[in-house]
Amino acid sequence: MAGSALRRLMAEYKQLTINPPEGIIAGPINEENFFEWEALITGPEGTCFEGGIFPAKLHFPPDYPLSPPKMEFTCEMFHPNIYADGRVCISILHAPGDDPMGYESSAERWSPVQSVEKILLSVVSMLAEPNDESGANVDAAKMWREDREQFNKIAEKIVRKTLSLD
Amino acid sequence: MKALLATVISLGLTTVVIGNAYYQKKQFYPSIVYLTNSNPSMAVMYLQAFILVLLVGKLLRKIFFGQLRPAEFEHLIERSWYAITETCLAFTVFRDDFNPKFIALFTLLLFLKAFHWLAEDRVDYMERSPVIGLLFHVRILTLLMLLAHADFYFIHHAYQFTAVKGPSVQLVFGFEYSILIIMIVNILIKYVLHAIDSRWEAPWESKAAVLLYTELAINFLKVLLYIGFVAVMVRIYTLPLFAFRPMYETMRSFKKAYNDVVLSRRAIRNMNTLYPDATPAELAAADNECIICREEMHTGAKKLPCNHIFHAACLRLWFQRQQTCPTCRLNVLRAPAPEAAGAPGPAPPAPPLVGLPPHVAPAPPPPGPVPPPFPNMPPPPPMMAWGMPPPPPLRARRLLPTSPPRSCSAWRAMSAGTLKPGYKYSIQYLPCLSLQLLREIQAMLDASVLLMQQYSTVVANLPQNNVTVSTQTETRIEELIKESPISTTQGKSEPDVVPTTSSYKQPSPVPSTSKTIVTEDTSPMQPDTTTPVDTNRDKTDVDAADELRRRRLQKFALDK
Repeated sequence: MAGSALRRLMAEYKQLTINPPEGIIAGPINEENFFEWEALITGPEGTCFEGGIFPAKLHFPPDYPLSPPKMEFTCEMFHPNIYADGRVCISILHAPGDDPMGYESSAERWSPVQSVEKILLSVVSMLAEPNDESGANVDAAKMWREDREQFNKIAEKIVRKTLSLD
Repeated sequence: MKALLATVISLGLTTVVIGNAYYQKKQFYPSIVYLTNSNPSMAVMYLQAFILVLLVGKLLRKIFFGQLRPAEFEHLIERSWYAITETCLAFTVFRDDFNPKFIALFTLLLFLKAFHWLAEDRVDYMERSPVIGLLFHVRILTLLMLLAHADFYFIHHAYQFTAVKGPSVQLVFGFEYSILIIMIVNILIKYVLHAIDSRWEAPWESKAAVLLYTELAINFLKVLLYIGFVAVMVRIYTLPLFAFRPMYETMRSFKKAYNDVVLSRRAIRNMNTLYPDATPAELAAADNECIICREEMHTGAKKLPCNHIFHAACLRLWFQRQQTCPTCRLNVLRAPAPEAAGAPGPAPPAPPLVGLPPHVAPAPPPPGPVPPPFPNMPPPPPMMAWGMPPPPPLRARRLLPTSPPRSCSAWRAMSAGTLKPGYKYSIQYLPCLSLQLLREIQAMLDASVLLMQQYSTVVANLPQNNVTVSTQTETRIEELIKESPISTTQGKSEPDVVPTTSSYKQPSPVPSTSKTIVTEDTSPMQPDTTTPVDTNRDKTDVDAADELRRRRLQKFALDK
């Protein structure tokens, strides 16, 4: 099934292994199935997520790269753009047709020129600068806006958890 | 937990009600009569029936679907609310037939509808789920068979009933079940397509196209059914308000399917006929990699009007979803064909004016055809002197598709080079977007300035028609050199820019590096700096300019 998707995923995997971006590791969970990836993302420096190492999973559709993959964090997360179950909600992961939040223009949506690397970099900058207008996690968005201190505390707790310090 | 509580309570209530009736009447028949005549008892019975239906529904759901995904559940709830509201609306039309049997039929309809929706969602999910076991196929196929049989039965029943007893509420049922059977056909087609696709090793390129056409045909059938139904209902009863929302939605999705088919066909035809195959030089300049599949391009690569190169096969697949350039999102249907944009050649050299770069000084236009617009020319001033109106809207349109996408790609290239986690994640296209918008506005402004200037020249030239066009041009340019230092500096920077923008004609051997793109980026902006000066001058003292020109003309004649 889907030979071109497989070849493209292999090419991206190769690229990521040869030339990995800073603070990001990603690859297939096992090399039998290239449509399920896992990734490790380090929290961006100078933010409340600094120092954390966040594991995530990426699910690729059979018609990748025409359709976007899905991404979810497998650790506990508290962030305005991450659903409580870990799913990541950013515009470049949405196909131009659907608009779950009804605010994104099609110019910032998925297109085949995006790649795993770009997605992960976008997620890193999302960690650094949440978009509190699209509340995937309304509680987190509210707290980010109104009670930053509390938000930072929770983020720090999560960071410690990902490092197994607690 | 709540459901269990409700079930228990309802069961208890029913027992109490029935026990009470039996206790009072002691016999079977009188207690039934008592039950049916007492409203509170009937309410309890209805509640019990409702909960029974829900329980059966849950059981069937467990059998055919297992656990529902959250998305499926949400979808189901949302659609159920609409359906229930519409059923209530339907009750108002048929209030004379209102009886328990009638309610039971509607409940059954809702019940079956819910399973249709779930089956549809499940089959759509097939495409995305990695592993599909045998159980899935067995479940879906059995369910579809059962639903199809039920639909057929009810359609048949409705037909018989209507044929024998004349029009009644059965019309609605017949119609609703026809819609459902169309839905079953649609689901079945999708299922077969997905199943075939998952069996094949190679990607099945025409699947998307087949899906597109199926959707079109199915929606067309539905629209026909809805229109027929509304027409019949209006003739026999009254306006069927309850059918309007689904009818509207069907029409909308039909329109969308139609547009999708038309647009993707047009985009693909454009690609096949209009867009040139990329030459080896161009391929080398673009790293020789198709950014859709990340593989090398040797043959079968196409160049879009925005100069981005992809495999033709990859593009076809993408165009079935969207008709934009994957890199810069240029709408390929709105962009003119590359031949049209590349057609006007570079400016023919103007013999009398040696000191000027050829691009600033256009030759006197030939008397017949409209002079070709040059992508780089500092636009309004020289044109202003032309005797005949150059076509401003044309210019504006050509400026647009050629320059903005390239600058977008430049932006992208730069951002890709310096990509740091700090950059805004979701707005990476916004600069392109706003740039494009600005350019559009600028092009429109240019066009209006041009028109204004033509108007003023025509007015200014009215008394002296004997002056030939060519001398006018020359004097105008001379005047320009003297007056505005901007245009001369612009002239000097011109050669840098030329190769990249006119690369439609002559494939530039040098790949467009960020440096050239940056210079090019600024070039369309230049009119911003020059035009306001001209407009102000022309608007404020047309007469003075006229006087000046006349004097210069005289001087020019003397010099010669």
